[in-house]
Amino acid sequence: MSAPGLGLPLLVLALTVLAGVMVSRRIALWRVGRPARVDWTRGLLALPKRYLVDVHHVVGRDPYAARMHALAAGGLLAGSGLALLALVPVLGASRLFWLLIALAFGMALAGGFMVGRRRLPVRPARLSGGRFQRLPFLLAAYAAGALLVALDAALGGHLTALSWPGLVLAAAGGLGLVLQLDTGPMRHAFAGALHLVAHPRPARFEGVRETALAPLDLDAARLPGVRLPGVRLPGVRLGIAEPADFAWNRLVGFDACIQCGRCEVACPAFAAGQPLNPKRLIQDLASALQPGATNATYAGSPYPHAREVAGIGGPDLPLVGTGAMIHPDTLWSCTTCRACVEECPMMIEHVDAIVGMRRFQTLELGAVPEKAAAPLSELRYADEPQGRALSARTDFAAGLELPRIGPRGAEILLWLGEGAYDLRHGRTLRALVALLHRAGVDFAVLGDEERDCGDLARRLGDEATFQRLARANISTLARHSFRRILTADPHALHVLRNEYRAFGGVFEVIHHTALLDELVAAGRLPLAPLARAVTYHDPCYLGRYNGEIDAPRRLIDRLGLARVEMERAGRRSMCCGGGGGAPLSDIEGERRIPDIRMAQAAATGAGTLAVACPQCTAMLEGVTGARPEVRDIAELVLEAVEAAPSARHAELAS
Amino acid sequence: MSEVPHIVVLLSAGRHPVSGRHCPVPVELQAIGLGHMLCGTGAADAITGLHAGPGTPALADALGHGLARLVHLETGGEDDPLPSLIAALREEAPALILAGRAGQGGEDTGTLPYALARALSLPIVADAVALKSGPLPGTLQVEQALPRGARRRLVVRLPAVITVHPAAPAPRPFAFAARTRGEVEQRPGVPSPRNAPAQAIEERPYRPRPRLIAKSAAGASAAERLKAATEAASGGGRLLVDPAPEEAAREILAHLRGLGVLRR
Repeated sequence: MSAPGLGLPLLVLALTVLAGVMVSRRIALWRVGRPARVDWTRGLLALPKRYLVDVHHVVGRDPYAARMHALAAGGLLAGSGLALLALVPVLGASRLFWLLIALAFGMALAGGFMVGRRRLPVRPARLSGGRFQRLPFLLAAYAAGALLVALDAALGGHLTALSWPGLVLAAAGGLGLVLQLDTGPMRHAFAGALHLVAHPRPARFEGVRETALAPLDLDAARLPGVRLPGVRLPGVRLGIAEPADFAWNRLVGFDACIQCGRCEVACPAFAAGQPLNPKRLIQDLASALQPGATNATYAGSPYPHAREVAGIGGPDLPLVGTGAMIHPDTLWSCTTCRACVEECPMMIEHVDAIVGMRRFQTLELGAVPEKAAAPLSELRYADEPQGRALSARTDFAAGLELPRIGPRGAEILLWLGEGAYDLRHGRTLRALVALLHRAGVDFAVLGDEERDCGDLARRLGDEATFQRLARANISTLARHSFRRILTADPHALHVLRNEYRAFGGVFEVIHHTALLDELVAAGRLPLAPLARAVTYHDPCYLGRYNGEIDAPRRLIDRLGLARVEMERAGRRSMCCGGGGGAPLSDIEGERRIPDIRMAQAAATGAGTLAVACPQCTAMLEGVTGARPEVRDIAELVLEAVEAAPSARHAELAS
Repeated sequence: MSEVPHIVVLLSAGRHPVSGRHCPVPVELQAIGLGHMLCGTGAADAITGLHAGPGTPALADALGHGLARLVHLETGGEDDPLPSLIAALREEAPALILAGRAGQGGEDTGTLPYALARALSLPIVADAVALKSGPLPGTLQVEQALPRGARRRLVVRLPAVITVHPAAPAPRPFAFAARTRGEVEQRPGVPSPRNAPAQAIEERPYRPRPRLIAKSAAGASAAERLKAATEAASGGGRLLVDPAPEEAAREILAHLRGLGVLRR
């Protein structure tokens, strides 16, 4: 083996040691986080599958990025690993082995070239600049240098003239890459791997749509023993105020971010020009962990119409506030639609972080958005965000038979939800009730025993009110006998189905589109086909949160409607702007989210926009000007049922 | 007045107008907010809540709206709260007593602050919407809400009783942690049984009544009903078309005198 041939394995060894030092510095920072329960064995065993399958599925939505990453990361790791093995004399002496190393670095060089081509000469807006712009050069230098050394060794020393400069080049590039492990782009490599192992929502990798928020221990706020003014006891703060309040594996998650900007492109608040950019938010959270932190090194798109903040932080300094990293308006701009989470190749949980910080704002500071204070207060004292009588919830059904659940119980319990008070959604519910009667479904409602499900309170960070409502609703539901809960409100569906579980409420909950699909398939609702073009808007809390994207589409197809898909549909659908308490927070932007969504609907050319959520109905119907007509799927089904000949015969006969 | 005055906010056992459940009275929470405006941030310890009565679960919720301390004088359900309050306030001798102009949901006649002021021989100012330190030490400048949106500013010497108007700024939003950590100091109140009311009083949640349409409602045509409804909504007064400036000025002055905005 030639001298440079020995030099390369030693260089890789030195770089590995240096990398270990850089990584341990970051690990020391993560230790300020709160403890988290992690199943290490399971996580480590699952890492290859999580990385090669789950992550690849998300990265693969952009095939160029997937190929680039496979070449650059695969080549770099394989080449460096094999080069280390060349220290074993038998392998180091093998020219075939060196050819293998050369091949791996050749791949890495191609990957580095692809990284460069993506960013140079023009960098797409969603990608970050700064240190990221230097990355392709460092990658290429390390790979090209190592390639030269390996080729020389493979050819038996015929390229010695190139091999020395090659080693120098590899050393320069490699050093540059390793020095970026702490705060630069390379941090995502090891933080990402650790994040995949110790992910806070491991069930996401096992095909479970794990989207429920974790309950907060409210009793933690009760100080034991004597109350000491001015003394902060550990573990008693509710919600997240400082980086140290995050669990350590959440902090690892923020460091896993590679600033690819896919979240930024998907975020409806960003598109509307509200001061939220999920990428920037995660970067602010990641940089706040550093003692004496500033946000100055960030080099991507800013928060649109960013509100003035000091941009300073540290592990024990506040995250939110004008004197900190993140302006409160940024937190309240989020619609909790999870589009960023869906797009994130590193599986970062943006919405959990936002709700965690909102909890501190609401529970500890009482700093809720101005218009949210009154609805939260009404929820506390009237179980209804507008302070309306619970008995008035069934007023929409005046003139219809709406059975109230009694001791006999019912097959299906119809959960009416907040939308029942709204005249527009009342029309949807009337159609649904009429359909249930026609299909002969045994159903009933709770009447004035139905309280608000607590979705609004929870998303606004008022965990105390949510937990009270959840417990009250669960005990009400436990008193009655029914098999399934039916609802036309995906927000209620998500809360009842997924979030009540943590409080002991396990229910089978079905969305009205799924039940109507069942009934139509069973022939219990004879239809006459409606021939027109329709486009379907997936509610975030049904599609993304619960993975239910097929039943509504199947139902639309059964109605004989020509279904045209929007630019963003299914699990990658765009929010209507109505979730997460966003209409109450009312953070000013350039445009409105529903206007953007309606423009996407109008672009399909369909005359009808089918919806399946009271929030979406209200938000999209509020769009002015020429636009497709907004109809709930239940209304479309009723229209088809009423047009059916058998229905006409039945009417004539009666 | 440079130093922070000691403020006591009177709290009553309110009920939600629709659900009928126990809840804090909004105008009393606004009173806490005015107290904060007066002492500024960081001096919240200077504000104490005071309640006399059997106590309700929602009482402590006032702690979540910016009270650090709450004194609860426990009395029986039939006891008159006034003697307990008088005794406690004589002992505490606060510089300022804030109360809502009327409670919500109980037997709230709005007379308690007046009875209290008389018993303690303190001046009372009704319907405050803003408080500021007065020009001289020991005085308070009060902005008072008059009917039809008019405002009047006056200065009162402390100690005094001030009642707060619903047009005051919105209260601080509720903070759950502050409610959990706040202190409630239980003390026995002064037992003072009241005479039983002549008739049993029936309590039920408030429900808005349908608006009556003017006299011509029954049997009149739709157009007449509309006319009656819109006439009732108009503000009255006289319509002058193109008057002389002097005449217009006289009319405006007369109108303002009629409203009570101008005195002379």
